[in-house]
Amino acid sequence: MSHVGKLIVIEGPDHVGRTLHARLLSARLKANGIATHTIGLARSDLMGGLVKSRTADIHQLNWRTRSLLYATDLHDQIKHEAEPLLDAGFVVVADRYTLTPRIREQVRGGDGDWIDSLYTNTPDPDAMIVLHAGPRRLLNRIMFGERLEALNHFEAGMDLALSTSITSSFLQYQKILRQKFQEAGKKADATLIPTRYTVEEVHDKIWESVMPVVEHMLQPIGGN
Amino acid sequence: MDGSGKSTQAKLLYHWLRAKGLPVFHTEWNSSKIVKEATKVGKNSRRLLPITFHMIHAADFADRWAQQIEPVLEIGGIVICDRYKYTAMARDGSRDVPQEVIEDTYSFAREPDLTLYFDVPVDVSFDRITKGRPKLKFYEAGLDMGWTTDPFESYRIFQGKVSEIYAGLVEDGRIVRLDAQGSVAEVQSRVRETFDKHIDLSSTQVIDQTDRLAQNLSESDIDWLSYSGGDGQ
Repeated sequence: MSHVGKLIVIEGPDHVGRTLHARLLSARLKANGIATHTIGLARSDLMGGLVKSRTADIHQLNWRTRSLLYATDLHDQIKHEAEPLLDAGFVVVADRYTLTPRIREQVRGGDGDWIDSLYTNTPDPDAMIVLHAGPRRLLNRIMFGERLEALNHFEAGMDLALSTSITSSFLQYQKILRQKFQEAGKKADATLIPTRYTVEEVHDKIWESVMPVVEHMLQPIGGN
Repeated sequence: MDGSGKSTQAKLLYHWLRAKGLPVFHTEWNSSKIVKEATKVGKNSRRLLPITFHMIHAADFADRWAQQIEPVLEIGGIVICDRYKYTAMARDGSRDVPQEVIEDTYSFAREPDLTLYFDVPVDVSFDRITKGRPKLKFYEAGLDMGWTTDPFESYRIFQGKVSEIYAGLVEDGRIVRLDAQGSVAEVQSRVRETFDKHIDLSSTQVIDQTDRLAQNLSESDIDWLSYSGGDGQ
């Protein structure tokens, strides 16, 4: 399936800076004359409300049901938003795409090939970026951020019974996730970017990696 | 087929096996609580497309598979499914979802020991479903496919496609055709006959009588007036 527009995917665990960088990338593209649209997990009109309001219940479901609910959510956005906009020449930025729902269930014993089969007919990314950070850095961002956030049991992998301590479980779980993201990212020919640098430095690395894909579409800010 | 009396017959089969003291469980299509909510949103907003329609019903099935069907099978019980993955093949296939996509999605659901296909001619199905109904639901009629704007005509087209896919599954030997025309008792007699022919229950353990009685009582009340001598004391 070939489109005039481009699909740029940013993957990585929670609190890695993914949403911030998706927003910055989109803003810079717009400033350079490129129409953009952002999609992501649990953002569809069909499933977004339900997934957000019933997150705890969804976390209790088995991995197949959860995978199908997230696949429904993503397919809804692809069919109603991404594909028409890609056809119209937009750059669609996916703040998480098919990698996160696969990895998150694979570490819980889910069958990766079966999960991949749910996304057989989705558009292939033109560029993929995997952001990653050490587990302790992620933990600090959650616990010592502006908002004092409680650790989420699912994000801490407590259902995997790695440890009875939520912080210890989080560190172990995020270590496994990071390794899986890096492996999958390399396999998918993604650009792996650690977010231990400043926001500007990380953004520049992202910009550099998407340039080959969008260069021909850019309209200089300083023109006229 | 819709309107074939399948749900009535499935319930009767369940009650028959239960009366024999067998460990039997009954489950219906689109009955998983959380998924049902999502389906309702999608149907009300008419936002569901063939692929999301397919996924969301598969989510319902996957939830019931994990919570109800697989555990019962694991302990040697009998599960009666009022619709199984073949419904998805017929309905989603009629909506042009590729057959291999449907097979992949439902690959975790094993082939049943027996699948009864309650077959009635499309005209009979159409008459039973539309009789006395001023209108048909949008997705039920297949109006999302844009075959026609007339709901009744659309439903007829949809059922024709569904019937064709079921016929293919019968031909492939994956489902057993059962003539669903006739009285409820006549059809139930055919159901039992086909069931006995295909299913060997000799190794299925009957539930202990005390547990069966306790379960029956937990679902009903004792008539306390007639209990213990008739004076209610």
